[in-house]
Amino acid sequence: MNKAYIILGSLFFIILALIIVNITLNNFMSTQGIAFSQIQTKLQDLQKENVILEDQVLKLSSLTRIASESATMGFTPETAKTQIALSNNIPLAYNQQ
Amino acid sequence: MSQRCRLALLFFFLLFFCIAVRLYYWQIVRADELVNLGESQYGNYVRVSGLRGEIQTSDKFSIAANKLTYTVFANPKEIKNSDLAANALSPILKEDSASISALLNLDKFWVSLSPSVDDNTKSAIEKLKLPGVGFEDQYVRDYPEASMAAKLLGFVGKNSNGEDEGYSGLEGFYDRQLRGQSTYVQQIHDAFGRPILAKMQNMASPADGRTLVLHVDRAVQYIMEDELKKGLQLYGAQSVEAAAIDPKTGGIMAMAGFPSFDPATYQNYTYEDYRNGFISDTYEPGSTFKPIVMAAAIDKGLVDPTTKCNICSGPVPIGGYEIHTWNDKYSPNIDMTHVIQESDNTGMTFVAEKLGLNGMEDTLQKFGFNDLTGIDLEGEGGSDIKPRNSWYPIDVATSGFGQGLAITPIQLLTAFASLANDGKRMEPHVVAQIDTADGQTIDIPPKVVDQTVSMQTAKVITEILINSTDHGEAAFARLKGYRIAGKTGTAQIPVAGHYDPTKTIASFIGYAPADDPKFAMLVIVNRPTSSIYGAETAAPIWFNIAQRMLTYYGIAPTGGDN
Repeated sequence: MNKAYIILGSLFFIILALIIVNITLNNFMSTQGIAFSQIQTKLQDLQKENVILEDQVLKLSSLTRIASESATMGFTPETAKTQIALSNNIPLAYNQQ
Repeated sequence: MSQRCRLALLFFFLLFFCIAVRLYYWQIVRADELVNLGESQYGNYVRVSGLRGEIQTSDKFSIAANKLTYTVFANPKEIKNSDLAANALSPILKEDSASISALLNLDKFWVSLSPSVDDNTKSAIEKLKLPGVGFEDQYVRDYPEASMAAKLLGFVGKNSNGEDEGYSGLEGFYDRQLRGQSTYVQQIHDAFGRPILAKMQNMASPADGRTLVLHVDRAVQYIMEDELKKGLQLYGAQSVEAAAIDPKTGGIMAMAGFPSFDPATYQNYTYEDYRNGFISDTYEPGSTFKPIVMAAAIDKGLVDPTTKCNICSGPVPIGGYEIHTWNDKYSPNIDMTHVIQESDNTGMTFVAEKLGLNGMEDTLQKFGFNDLTGIDLEGEGGSDIKPRNSWYPIDVATSGFGQGLAITPIQLLTAFASLANDGKRMEPHVVAQIDTADGQTIDIPPKVVDQTVSMQTAKVITEILINSTDHGEAAFARLKGYRIAGKTGTAQIPVAGHYDPTKTIASFIGYAPADDPKFAMLVIVNRPTSSIYGAETAAPIWFNIAQRMLTYYGIAPTGGDN
């Protein structure tokens, strides 16, 4: 008889302990939601910032902008019809002593 | 059983029946409504879309990217003084304050004040600290190179569900690849609206769309567009188009057409502006078709560069018609090299007659004029070639010099490029590789579609075309020191059963350097007014582009006729 009471009592305490652990963990997780939410917001902000910076890099390095900037700096497109190309090594003066 | 027991049993039976009916009503009839109501009280579903994939040129520059913008909205119920708020917002949003005030006075909980503002505008509005005014993130397509390659790219509009959808060009063709996957995220809140981590569900991120890496070289595209814009103005043309292809891979290095449109403000343009004529419009190619027919005849052993034309001493009568040369000058016993150089229609009639209907059909098939090229752009059109039983001897003769059949420019360019690639016709491709969101790369390998002519024939026709460039009608515009294989074209435009005597489609097609071609290119000038001839309009544009491309690729002059 005593043995049965001990088993039932143990089961009762185990179940009670598990319920308490469950409640504690759920509470813990619920409060951590705030921290998680903050991290998520921070992540989203950084991702947005990244997109904005990438956009700025693309705009600054676009050929359209480079062409317009170079024109304002006085560079003009090459228009000569004949090209001069150096296809072979040219004997330089310092090699001819 | 006593009467009392029976009544009690009936009572309980009716009671259970009523409970069952009520349960059916709540759990079956109004189930969805109540589930939604319950979920709305402790959480909400948020639709999250993945970013649309970018489109990058061969140097990995995003020519179509994504930009973060914000929708400015207001809750009119929370605005205390709408006139004051409207006056403060008006200069920032660049909207009339009366219009903003009217929106803020509406009997609604949500009104959009501006659909898309940038980060600076958002910051300026935030500084006003107006209650009831908020922002919603929105990613929109951004074009760092403005309208560059617009016809190639297409644009992103909205479908009937209000979702982004690609139309025309690459955006249309690769819409399913580019489109990011959407997912619904359920977020559970506590009584204070704070998210509960333990109850968060379906937090899987939506997948971003795939990124397309093109064969298109940004610098070459810029050069081509720059020269085409100048040409359009200089020659007073209705439109200009061009494309350059790598003959060895079929990769499209550049493709442009003007007038064009700005994909960022596509709403302001018409279908005519979006349409990429280079892949969708057909035209009679005229003399640029002659090298194809000549190559086929050489390949079949019917003629060689020294073969003399024995019908070229005057107009050639066929089936009640007469074939004339373009300038009504005739060269008896002209050889095949000079037939191409002089762009002699009677000489090409001689070649076409040698090919015959079967030979011509075989040529059209091998060079791909009966089929779509398979280019990866939305809106490719097919050719307009008569069925076999409708061909007369005059049709065989005129097709020898590119009349009586209508093809698309992309068909002609891929066919012509095969002559620069030892006779191998490649499938044209704009996209070189697809990058997935998880870092994988899918390469699109070059595909040989057909062997149009033998390697030997390709070399022979190349020499004929180099001679044509150096001594033909467009010799004045050629690049000295380079061996370039090319041919002019001045195609008449058929109208109501005859050819328009005043309007033409002028073109030039060629490849360079001829001995190891880096590119093949076709330039088309539609209805030029300063001159009707390809040699005087399309050819100078072609050589201007080619010169800048050769410099860009660091290809030095190799000799040739100076």
